[in-house]
Formats: sequence, structure tokens, C-alpha cells
Amino acid sequence: MSWVRARRAAIGLLGFAALYLLASEIGQSRLPDRIWMGAHYVENVKLLPTWRALVEEGTFLIQSNILVDSIAVSTRRVVLGLLLGSVVGILLGLLTGAASRLEALADPWVTFFRFTPALALLPLYVIWFGYGESSKVLLIATNVAVVTFLGAHQGVRGVRRVYLDAAAALGADRWLTFRKVILPAAFPSILASFRVATGLAWVTIVVAELINAQMPSLGYLLALAGAYPRVPNMMIGLATIGALVLVFDLLALLLNAWATRWMERAA
Amino acid sequence: MTAGATPPVLEATDVGYGYPGPTPTQALEGLSLEIQDSEFVALLGPVGCGKTTLLRIFAGFLRPSKGSVRCAGASIDGPGWQRGYVLQEESIFPWMTVRQNVEFGLLAKGLGPDEQRKISDELIELIGLTAFAEAFPKELSTGMSKMVEVVRVLATDPSILLLDEPFGALDAQTRQRMQDALARLWAQRRKTVLFVTHDAEEALYLADRVVVLSPRPGRVKASFTVGLPRPRSFESRFSAEFLGLKRRVWEATGLDGM
Repeated sequence: MSWVRARRAAIGLLGFAALYLLASEIGQSRLPDRIWMGAHYVENVKLLPTWRALVEEGTFLIQSNILVDSIAVSTRRVVLGLLLGSVVGILLGLLTGAASRLEALADPWVTFFRFTPALALLPLYVIWFGYGESSKVLLIATNVAVVTFLGAHQGVRGVRRVYLDAAAALGADRWLTFRKVILPAAFPSILASFRVATGLAWVTIVVAELINAQMPSLGYLLALAGAYPRVPNMMIGLATIGALVLVFDLLALLLNAWATRWMERAA
Repeated sequence: MTAGATPPVLEATDVGYGYPGPTPTQALEGLSLEIQDSEFVALLGPVGCGKTTLLRIFAGFLRPSKGSVRCAGASIDGPGWQRGYVLQEESIFPWMTVRQNVEFGLLAKGLGPDEQRKISDELIELIGLTAFAEAFPKELSTGMSKMVEVVRVLATDPSILLLDEPFGALDAQTRQRMQDALARLWAQRRKTVLFVTHDAEEALYLADRVVVLSPRPGRVKASFTVGLPRPRSFESRFSAEFLGLKRRVWEATGLDGM
């Protein structure tokens, strides 16, 4: 990744932040601070909290350790789910990609899980695996496994015939061909799916924590902010999750760039 | 040619091959060809005449639907390094360095790292890519990549080389340099070569014998022995003998416009 790209990304982020700050200053005196919530009024809402309100709220959340603990707990779940799910997904994908008879066997299940929303599985997972860590980690792992499975499977399937022919002509057996030809050729596809999976893992965990809300977690932080309701708290929570997604995506991107450094890159 | 005690290195007898599918195509029909030990044979013919099909049959990737193919008397029933095959398409492994590409066949053979290194050093030097030994193929030109593919096959020391239009995508100058490099390699190592091309001049410059195939379904239409002395040079291309042969080959391929 080039510095130009990084600089443009930074300009994009900061530019939007500046626009928000401007809008919040203008809106401070003009936006209503009393909102009808269906059954009652909520007084003193800050629809677009100013930077002062955000700093104040952020300081409280950091000093009380709520934010740090929440980040630690949610990140741990995401990392565990990513590791577990991608190991299972990639192994299964490689297997079904290499053995065409297994493909038909796995195909309907892939479609099934691919389009089953994470939330639909949550109640079942809670019953099966309890309210603790397992159900949440396994929920992420399920989603991650489906995405990385597809990446690995299609990666293996997409290996160009000429490479397999060349390997066979050079006398390579199946195992050598798998290790030195199929696997590296499928790697870009696998890593691209892993990158999608990292983003999806965060979507899954935050939604799971919103529904099955427990302290401390980023999902709970948002659920709590919604219950009060406290807009600055929501904003901090959203920004934190967004920042974590960006960090994870950057890590996946760097891994991707390293593993595909042999590829021809478009400028 | 008299039948010796040893069978020909490559032998196709009455070979037919048809591709099934929505447009069934009979690529080869009643093709017979014998190639002797250390012979350099160029296979020439129009697009779609089954040159590549015949080469893939010899390489062991296709089985003839009629007739038989043999290698040193034994039936061919799959790919093997003994028949070194360079595909028409670019098939250099882009995720491996030049050296790893050259050593791949040696790895398949189970050679130790030191032996692999010795052979790859020698071959990479032979094609003048020592400076690129640890580079990925994305840094190479098309011609360089093709030469790597050729020496990757040479590394395992096959007795037979099957080359499918290896220099087809190159410009004229690079092409001549590659032809000279191949001629030198062949002179040094005395392999049996079957070289597919659609360029009559290239065929005559390189081969001992030029075999012309008919349009689809391909069969042997004509065969020319090239008696030009070796090593051939730039001057050979303009000798009376060369030009006379070129005329006859062009007539056989139908390039004379008749």
C-alpha cells in the first residue's frame, strides 16, 4: 500500500470529522432537545453532540475503565471467533475444492449458512452453548467459517489449468501439487475472503452483544446508551467499533499484501 | 527410413482425436508420425489443425480416441517428466521465484537442496538470468518467462522435449535470440525435440525435419528433411537451400495462395 493511498484515506476520515464538528456546532442551538419517544418525551437530548460533549463523555468512559474493558472483551471474542472460524472454514474449503465429490455434498449447507443471518442463529446458540463466551465466539466462528470456506473453495477451484498441467508434466505428485501450486494459487482468494470475514466478525459480535447484552462489551455499551438514551455515549461506541474495524481491516490488508507480493499489481 | 532394432522415441500410429461438446470437432484423423532419437522435428500447420492436440497426446494429457501413441515402445498413459512439456500458454508459477520455478521438477524428483541449487544455478546462467534468480516472474519479460519455462523442463533432464509454440508471443528480434538459445541447448544436450510452430522459417531454422499437417482434421501432409549444416546462423536463413526449402514448405502449407 502506498503513502498516497494512506494519505488520501486520512484526508477522507479527517474531512468527515471536520464536517461533523461543523454540523454539530451549527446544530447546537437549532436542533430540538426534546424528543417524543412513542410513549414519553425525552428531555435534554443532544442529537448531534459537540466535540466538548464527546470529549467529556469519552473521558468518563475511559476513566471508568468501561470503554477499555469493553474493547478488550469484544476484541477477544472477535479474535477467537476469527481464528476458530477461519481455520475450520479454510480447511473445509481446501478439502472440498480439491475433491470435487465433496463439493456437491457441502454445497447446500454453504448456501444455507451463507444466507442465514447471524441473529437467527443466536437464540439457538444461547440454548446450546449458554449465555457465556462460547455462544458468541461460536456465532462469529460460524459466519467467518462460511465466508472463508467460500474463499478457499473458490480459490482452489479457480487455479488455472495450465499450472496444474505444468506441475503434472514436471512429475509432481498430488501432495506436492497441492502444497506448492494449488495452495499458493488459492491464497489471494483465501485472504480476500478473510478480509471480508474480519469485517463481518465485528458486525456479528456487536449485534450479538446488543441482543444478548452483558457487561462489559461494546454491544452492551451501545444497548445501554440506547436505553438512557445518551447520544454522546452512542457516538463514542460507534466510533470505537468503527476504529476497531478499520484497524482489523488494515491488518488483514497488510497480510494480504504480504502474501500476494508475487502478484502483478495494478498501480 | 529403415526400422531399426530400437523403436522410435515417439510414435503415433493412425491417431484420431475428437473434442466432444456443443461443436464436436475432429482435431486429428489417421495421423502417423515417427520421431527418432535425438531428432529435432518441427510440426507446422495452420491454426486449428491439431498441432497442440497431438503434442498434448504425446505429453500424456489426452488419450487418442483412435490409434495409439508410444514412447520408446511403451504406451503413453499419462504425463511424466521424461517427456518434458512446455505449454503454449504462459505457465511459469508466478508465486515462485525464478529459481524455485526451475527447481520445481527437481523437488518432485526428490533431489536434495544442494543438488537442486547446482542444477538451477547452471540453467539460470545458461539463459542469462542469474541476476533475476531470486526475482518473481512479474519482473520478467514474456521472453524471459518462456525461457524459464523451457529450462524448468530441462532441469529434470528429460530425454524428450515437447515444445508448443514457445516463442509465438515474442517480437522478431527476441524470437531469433530465443531460437539461437534453444539451438545451442539442443546441440549441448542432444534431446529428442518435437517443436510446434506456425512459422515456417522458425521450423526450418531449428529442425532436422519439418512435418506439415493438413487443416482439420490434421494428418501428416508433407515432411521435409532439412539438411542445412549446424550450427546454423543468421546467414543460414538466406542460403539458397534454406530459401528453396522455405518455398516448398510454404507451398505445402498452402501459403503460396494456391
